[in-house]
Amino acid sequence: MTDKDETSLEARLRRLDEILAKMESDDVALEEALKLFEEGVGHVRAAERVLSAAELRVEELLASGETRPLESGEE
Amino acid sequence: MSDDFSLDLFPEGTPEGGGEPEPVEVASEPPEPRVWSVSQVNRAVRGLLEQTVEPLWVGGEVGGWTRSRAGHRYFTLKDDRAQLRCVMFAREAERLPTDPDEGSQIRVFGELTLYEARGDYQLVVRKLEAEGADGLWRIAFEKLRAKLEAEGLLEPSRKRPIPAYPACVGVVTSLEGAALRDIVSVIARRAPWTRVVVRGTKVQGEGAALEIAKALGVLARSGLADVIIVGRGGGSVEDLWAFNEEPVARAIAACPVPVVSAVGHEVDVTISDLVADLRAPTPSAAAEAVVPDGETVRTGLRRVPERLARALRGASQRRRASVEARLVSLVRRIERRFGPPRQTLDRAMARLERAARSTAQGRRGRLGALAARLETLSPLGTLQRGYSVARTDDGKVLKTLADLPAGVRFELRVIDGTVRAESLGPMEEEPTR
Repeated sequence: MTDKDETSLEARLRRLDEILAKMESDDVALEEALKLFEEGVGHVRAAERVLSAAELRVEELLASGETRPLESGEE
Repeated sequence: MSDDFSLDLFPEGTPEGGGEPEPVEVASEPPEPRVWSVSQVNRAVRGLLEQTVEPLWVGGEVGGWTRSRAGHRYFTLKDDRAQLRCVMFAREAERLPTDPDEGSQIRVFGELTLYEARGDYQLVVRKLEAEGADGLWRIAFEKLRAKLEAEGLLEPSRKRPIPAYPACVGVVTSLEGAALRDIVSVIARRAPWTRVVVRGTKVQGEGAALEIAKALGVLARSGLADVIIVGRGGGSVEDLWAFNEEPVARAIAACPVPVVSAVGHEVDVTISDLVADLRAPTPSAAAEAVVPDGETVRTGLRRVPERLARALRGASQRRRASVEARLVSLVRRIERRFGPPRQTLDRAMARLERAARSTAQGRRGRLGALAARLETLSPLGTLQRGYSVARTDDGKVLKTLADLPAGVRFELRVIDGTVRAESLGPMEEEPTR
């Protein structure tokens, strides 16, 4: 359930914050902590994959609602 | 319109001379004075005015400001002794940021002419400015600001937080402008995983405000962007004016995702800055505000596994501690449950013993059997199995390390009696928390 890549970076990082807060608080059972740990590591990996994208995508939104790549370096 | 003869209206001696243009016939006898038609006079004066007076600036107080259906503005300019009729045609008037207030001081630039149909002479106004720098702009700004404020659109509580890690940043600006290049280069450097979707628009000149508003709407409706930057690079007050107009303000307020206004300018603030969820001084600053710095995010992420692991260790230690705590409380519960019956049993035993002593030998067997049965129920049975009970002189059971600091004296009840004992303190290897 951890690895849908459509999950946004924002959602992953927010979930990571939640997981850390929960695990670092005092009231989490060991079984739950284990589950959270695995989930958290999954999010870290997925987020790192997202961050490793190297090329910025710039698109122009057309009147039709479609987008097309925009060459920005022109000029 | 004015033709050649207008200049001949008052040449020396012409009226009598019966010259070039045909005078209107009046009478016959003596050489009648030449009589002009009204149209001729007005046309001639008009020509004179238009050709002899250079366009000029005139300052005064505005009065009788009216707007015709066609969009022309009529007003008079006055000082304490005189007034001058003025007209500003729709083409020029549309560029006014706002109409000046009645009675306010303005200056206008234009040409003198004569409205032939009425014989009124007037100033055809090309430019109109209120006193003071950016006077009319400032007035228009304040009017719109007051209006939006009254509607609650400038409330701080309306400001939405900017998402911390937007997957897609929308941009509304000119496709050719420096603003777009600046935004793209900042996002490429900080957060190259981000998708940038641009809706191009005109950002100055006629119709710019409506176009910006429309572009914002289109981008918002596409549902692609998590946050939208709207703006342009620096320019004059007039260049930036579109961002001070109501359609842009309304489009920003109606946008379903947070909007960052980035109008590069030295002049203080635009209306779009006020309505937007965040104001950035320049397009680059807007981009910085909207995307996180990748390096910072990566550094934070790198620490997460270690934090997770530490938290997990913590949880397992807490669990061990909680198992211990649960055991202790279980033991207490058992003791509480068995405490009173034990006393009852003890009393019963004592009575039995007394009874036994006082009764015949013969009954001993039966009593013994009974005692044996009781013993299986009583803690004495436990003592029988080799456990002992530590108690104080007055019978309080000693259960925990805290009850038994080094040096404390107590009694130890064993199966067949009680011994005096003294604690030497806890064992070393026991964790003392």
